[in-house]
Amino acid sequence: MANLEARGIPSVGVATTEFIQGAEAQAKALGTDPALVFIPHPVQDRTDEELRALADQYFEEILQLLVK
Amino acid sequence: MTVLLDPTSEHAPTIRPRLPRPDKLDGLTIGILDIAKARGDVFLKRLGERLGERGIAYRHYAKPTNTRPAPLPLQQQIATEVNLVIEGLSD
Amino acid sequence: MSETPLDGLVAVVKRDCPTCELTAPVLGDLARRARLQVYTQDDPSFPETVSARIDDTALDISHRLKIEVVPTLIRLDHGREIDRTYGWDRKEWERVAGIAGLGPNLPDARPGCGAKNIEPGVIERLRIRFNETGLKSRRIEIGADEDDQEAMHERGWSDGLPLVPPTEERVLRMLDGTLRDPQEVIGLVPPILAPATVEKIAINAVMAGCKPEYLPTVLAAVEAVLDEKFAMHGVLATTMFVGPVVIVNGAVRRRIGMNAKGNALGQGNRANGAIGRALQLVIRNIGGGRPQEVDRATLGNPGKWTYCFAEDEEGSCWEPLSVEKGLQPGQSAVTVFAGFGLQGVVDQKSREPESLCRSFAESLKVLFNVKSAPSADALIVMSPEHERTFRNAGWSKARVYEELYKLCKIPGEDLVMGAKGIAEGTASPRAGTMVDKFRPGGLMIVRAGGGAGMFSGIIGGWSSSGPRGSTPVTKEVRN
Repeated sequence: MANLEARGIPSVGVATTEFIQGAEAQAKALGTDPALVFIPHPVQDRTDEELRALADQYFEEILQLLVK
Repeated sequence: MTVLLDPTSEHAPTIRPRLPRPDKLDGLTIGILDIAKARGDVFLKRLGERLGERGIAYRHYAKPTNTRPAPLPLQQQIATEVNLVIEGLSD
Repeated sequence: MSETPLDGLVAVVKRDCPTCELTAPVLGDLARRARLQVYTQDDPSFPETVSARIDDTALDISHRLKIEVVPTLIRLDHGREIDRTYGWDRKEWERVAGIAGLGPNLPDARPGCGAKNIEPGVIERLRIRFNETGLKSRRIEIGADEDDQEAMHERGWSDGLPLVPPTEERVLRMLDGTLRDPQEVIGLVPPILAPATVEKIAINAVMAGCKPEYLPTVLAAVEAVLDEKFAMHGVLATTMFVGPVVIVNGAVRRRIGMNAKGNALGQGNRANGAIGRALQLVIRNIGGGRPQEVDRATLGNPGKWTYCFAEDEEGSCWEPLSVEKGLQPGQSAVTVFAGFGLQGVVDQKSREPESLCRSFAESLKVLFNVKSAPSADALIVMSPEHERTFRNAGWSKARVYEELYKLCKIPGEDLVMGAKGIAEGTASPRAGTMVDKFRPGGLMIVRAGGGAGMFSGIIGGWSSSGPRGSTPVTKEVRN
């Protein structure tokens, strides 16, 4: 993500809540302030239907981080 | 740890600020980057469908592995083909 | 960190000092006869004559005691210094120690050596460690996984080229280049009108690659562009090509090794390059003036990386630019001019000043557009071989100006829209009149360049030249 922002492409990352701490540590080490949306962990065991529902649920929030 | 003195008038935060965002998405293309973690593809595919329903152009990309940063050619390709990026799914 | 001693005698020494070696037996003697603490700056096993040596290789105690010369002998009473001597001087040592008959076999006196804690590089580190820098700027910690170059670029500090990381040490050393207070405000930098303190300018000078000795010239250049007569905001925000061109006069040019000779306007000289770049970084970082933001330049010009050179005064038959502007000969000065690019004037045939002036005039008349008059100001960089022609004919600079203003007149009918088949032009008919290409005072001449080549340069100015826009500004370079 940092790579693409450095190329001038505003980016938003989607991660699970499990990643909150890791994301904070990484952001600190890299001196960045990444735009992130967290969805409930875990995802591996979810059905396709559940994942699509999550995508629908968070869609607006993700778009919000790409515009002013 | 290197400590540098801020050469600016210190209006911006010390961390690298996010890039400025566009006012609206009309006419822009969004890249959807799958970082190759399990099940992320289903989620991202649905995001693409939703963008399509809104009439927003999008393209899907996939990293070969989630363990390393996207290869340079892929980064360059994305940077030339799209205006914005959604990437996931980290856990 | 060791505790500061409270009572008795304190000596600070280093092995790498012959005078300290010389006094080693005296220190051994004093250690037996009085309460003495010996701090060693370099080799903790020195001096062997004293058993209770204290390691001060970290130099904390030396710094706190403000040691400048070793050996130094100090008498303390309840933590308060009541006497001190440095170097070896038997009478002085006997007085401070209150003990007679010291070092009977030694010469009467020997000068000491410079202390380690005040060596360049060391003193800065100690001031940082003891939080004595007085630097007010925000500290930015670069993440352990960040590359410092990338971090600086991504924070938007760079003009596009690599930067020297502005560490506290480097900025402290830079500030040694001036006597001015780091918190003195030189001016307000557009577009955001942020105060340019000496400290902030020094940080940008470090990043630009300046040596501390360049700092006074950078400060003068910043002061000049921030003078309201220069109209820096407009120069920055215009869609036209211009940026500040810095011309340096006086003693400072040679003192800091600037180039006024071959390739004076080109690459290869650190002072020329770094001073001009520092000025641009000040505008960018302190003022927030960035291309495609407030800087609306359509094309800009390569001089917006750096555009700074010195006048070759020594070989000239004319007064330097700074003297024209009212300063004394030899007085160090910078003049800033809102200019762009370089147009060559090639004339290898003129042996008479009249002919050469006509060459210059015809070249000057095409500035912006052959139909543009009155036009922008222009700076002529006269090469030595062209200046020679005027020198041989005994022409003063004033006479050259006079001749050029006279020759740079264009018939009004040539300037009308559509004339010469060119739509560009003026709407108001001026047939029958001659129109000045340049406003009075709109031409400046400086002499620079290599000894061979009958090639001079014209640096065009901004369409808003003059009192309503930007006028050149000269400032003295002060230490």
